[in-house]
Amino acid sequence: MPISLAASRVLIVDDNEFNRKSLALMIRRAGLTQIEVAENGVEGLRKVESFRPDLVLLDVSMPVMDGLEMCRRLRERLTHEELPILFQTALDSDEEQVRCFEAGGSDFISKPIKPGECVARVRHQLEKRKLFTDLANFRARVERELKHAKAMQLSLLPEPRELEAVAERYELVLDAHFETSSELGGDFWNVYPLDSHRVAFLMVDFAGHGITAAINTFRLHTLIDRFPMQHVPPSEWLAGLNQALKEVLPVGQFATAFFGILDLHTDTLTYASAGAPNPVVGIAGELRLLDSAGLVLGASRRAVYADRSLRLPRGSCLFLYSDALIECSGPDNEPIGQDGVPGLLRGAMAANRARPLGPLLERFYARTSLPLRDDLTAVWIARRA
Amino acid sequence: MNFQVHRSSETIEVLLSGRLEFTDHDSLPDLVDLLNNEGTRRFILDMDGLTFIDSAGIGMLLILQDEAEQRNIKLILRKLQGDVLRSIDLARIGEVVAIER
Repeated sequence: MPISLAASRVLIVDDNEFNRKSLALMIRRAGLTQIEVAENGVEGLRKVESFRPDLVLLDVSMPVMDGLEMCRRLRERLTHEELPILFQTALDSDEEQVRCFEAGGSDFISKPIKPGECVARVRHQLEKRKLFTDLANFRARVERELKHAKAMQLSLLPEPRELEAVAERYELVLDAHFETSSELGGDFWNVYPLDSHRVAFLMVDFAGHGITAAINTFRLHTLIDRFPMQHVPPSEWLAGLNQALKEVLPVGQFATAFFGILDLHTDTLTYASAGAPNPVVGIAGELRLLDSAGLVLGASRRAVYADRSLRLPRGSCLFLYSDALIECSGPDNEPIGQDGVPGLLRGAMAANRARPLGPLLERFYARTSLPLRDDLTAVWIARRA
Repeated sequence: MNFQVHRSSETIEVLLSGRLEFTDHDSLPDLVDLLNNEGTRRFILDMDGLTFIDSAGIGMLLILQDEAEQRNIKLILRKLQGDVLRSIDLARIGEVVAIER
């Protein structure tokens, strides 16, 4: 498909009036109507600033300032680095053509000017410029939009202030890390105060990463409000969420999830899981993996989930994470793997018993190649002693 | 991931090897295309040579199950082991896809 160049602006710089007129005529015939002329390099530089051409047709020898000098001066400025500059050079003068390229020329047209060649070369340079600017504009627009989308995604997660308030209210220590492998990601987590003594934790990881997975986290966010958490066991809540997700997710897209309710009156954590990586629980200094098998969300309308309960008394802790933690590797390191998580956490707790998330991530990053292959979320939940 | 195909009258057996992950989505159409073979009743994925599966790989299995179901073909996963078995069991894929134990 030919690109329309009618709106392109061409500046002709030549000290010979006949040349200026004939070049303008050729270009006008090719459909380019926005043409300006200058008689030497100094005037040419001035017109570049006022007329903002998309292409300059430049003669080499001119009084006051020649074409080579004008070209060199244009190239010194960052804004004109990419401006196409077409020299008119004497045919067969290899030396002059080399000098034109050295001065920063994009291409040259041999004199005497042949209309067909002239228009073809002008057109080629303008098309290249247009494609380049289109691409640069597209890139800038996408970057801008992704930046906004990223801020929107972060707004789905609890803010540090909120987290601190929840931690105070339920006498917990809460620490969280959320990182996407590209601008947007498919992980989601949040904490929900249910009543005076119960608080719920949800972590969801949509398969894949990037924009598709991120759109699913927004879908999830709107769905969550449709299912009150107060009066149903976690298994039932997860089953409701599963059915709603099955309605909207295309085949092959799904999410793993962990949903748990901590009851401070009974010191009990009751949770249901849909294939989330095994959380680590720490009670009386002993760390172990929790069973978290369960059909992933969005795979079947009929999925049922099990409630599992365990005692989580004062001083105990729970560590939730997405699979990037166990699946990402480094040049000299195998992935940590599911069974490696308790050991990783134990080492981190030796460095900082109350808040091991920082040291844990330091150890993880020390052995892992960046950028991460998948989104990483990690949440540390501890009951104060 | 690489795969080899063995056909008999009613059964197509695909031997998967390597890692089944995000980057393998491009080969999914080739696998789905195998289901269009006239007369196929059973589609067996032999995972003996598979060393790893990630969530995108599991997504591919769910898509294959759906495509097979639409054509009245039974999808069967066979010879799961190690990390692959663990991942598929954790996600309880056995509730939607037949797994030969």
